[in-house]
Amino acid sequence: MTGTEIALIGAALAVGLAGIGSAIGVGIVGQSASGLVTEDPDKFGQTLLLQALPGTQGIYGLLAGFIIMQNIGIIGDELLVLTVPQGYAFLMASIPIAIVGLVSGIYQGRVSASAVGLVAKRPEELGKGIVYAVMVETYAVLALLATIMLLFGIPL
Amino acid sequence: MSIDDTIYAYAVGRIRALETRLVDRARLERMIDASSAEEALKVLAESDYANAIAELTDVHDFESILAAELKNTFDLIFDISPRPELISIMALRYDVHNLKVLFKAKYLGVKSDLLMLVGSLDLDKMEYAVSEDDYLDLPPMLRQAAEGISEDFLLNRDPQVIDLYLDRVLYDQLVTSARENGSKFLEGLFVRQIDLTNLRSLVRVKRMGLDRELLTKIFLPHGSIQLDRLTAMLDEPLESLITMLSMSDYADLAAEGVRDWIDKGTASRLEKLSDDYITAYLKPSKWTPFGLEPLIGYLWAKEI
Repeated sequence: MTGTEIALIGAALAVGLAGIGSAIGVGIVGQSASGLVTEDPDKFGQTLLLQALPGTQGIYGLLAGFIIMQNIGIIGDELLVLTVPQGYAFLMASIPIAIVGLVSGIYQGRVSASAVGLVAKRPEELGKGIVYAVMVETYAVLALLATIMLLFGIPL
Repeated sequence: MSIDDTIYAYAVGRIRALETRLVDRARLERMIDASSAEEALKVLAESDYANAIAELTDVHDFESILAAELKNTFDLIFDISPRPELISIMALRYDVHNLKVLFKAKYLGVKSDLLMLVGSLDLDKMEYAVSEDDYLDLPPMLRQAAEGISEDFLLNRDPQVIDLYLDRVLYDQLVTSARENGSKFLEGLFVRQIDLTNLRSLVRVKRMGLDRELLTKIFLPHGSIQLDRLTAMLDEPLESLITMLSMSDYADLAAEGVRDWIDKGTASRLEKLSDDYITAYLKPSKWTPFGLEPLIGYLWAKEI
């Protein structure tokens, strides 16, 4: 395998795994929210907000994937020829957001779905439910930060 | 986490919304303050009972509202639960209840209670089975109990056998099904109910001055308190029961409930405490985010 191919695996993992995490998370909240909206259709707006929260991991993954593609020239003027160690460096750099995106997306979904239960009982406390879910977001942001720092540190 | 509990996400979301419409303390007080049954019914109509009330013809027929609402609740939970087989375990109780009513109607010639529509068995079939003494259509465990009852009754003419046989079969089946389905939560619920029933039997047997033979007969297996520990209590004063239980989960309940029974001679306090105890066991269902617990908690809230 050439260095470029290995780097592309990194991009695919970042976009793919973080995207899976978000899809599962958003899916769980969606189910819970439909349960609530079946009985109380007025809560649609509030639950939509909660459902959107676990979606960010997928965006972070895509961002990391974009940066890799740009750095190796898939997007842009010319494709760089990477050595195998350079390729592995890109792959390693994508790991933080890939793994943390997957897991935190699922758990943020669980927290948000619980917040749907909270909104069912006390709609005025939506803000607190969002805060709980955003706490999980912290770690996805940290992972994205690590990935970006690693990516920009790779000598080409 | 062997089974993915997020399959319950939809059901729990829906239950959370429904829980807000349960009859709460404020609404109950308004009903008590109402000047007439019609007024009270109007308050109730603002709650989840609205559908059942709409079908009501006679205001004073509230027993049938409650029965109809229970039926609705069961149907709903059964529909939204991703594992309906666990909900049908909860409905077993009503099949057994119906059988009891039918047997009592047959042997005692009285119709003491309403037949409940909640059970999983066809009522007409059950009525036919009991009146014709032909139990082949019943599920095996109920068939055995029913045959046992009809034989025993022919010999002894004692209507108590009805409750005796059927309760035993009911709890046996409840615990077995909970285990088969791997639901620790349900198993815990039934074991607690069995213990509480056994405790009440013990106190009752003792107060009536009856012997251990009877206690052995009415004792329900599968509980966490063994039979020999209970029969040992028969020769001692009731106070020692409180001491025996002081190290168990039932310490507070025994101390207050049994004491009250000794002092006042009525079981009502113990019954109330037993209900409270089960409610406390189900309390975490209010904040469990996913799983079966909120569904069962909601059912319980509707049942009592």
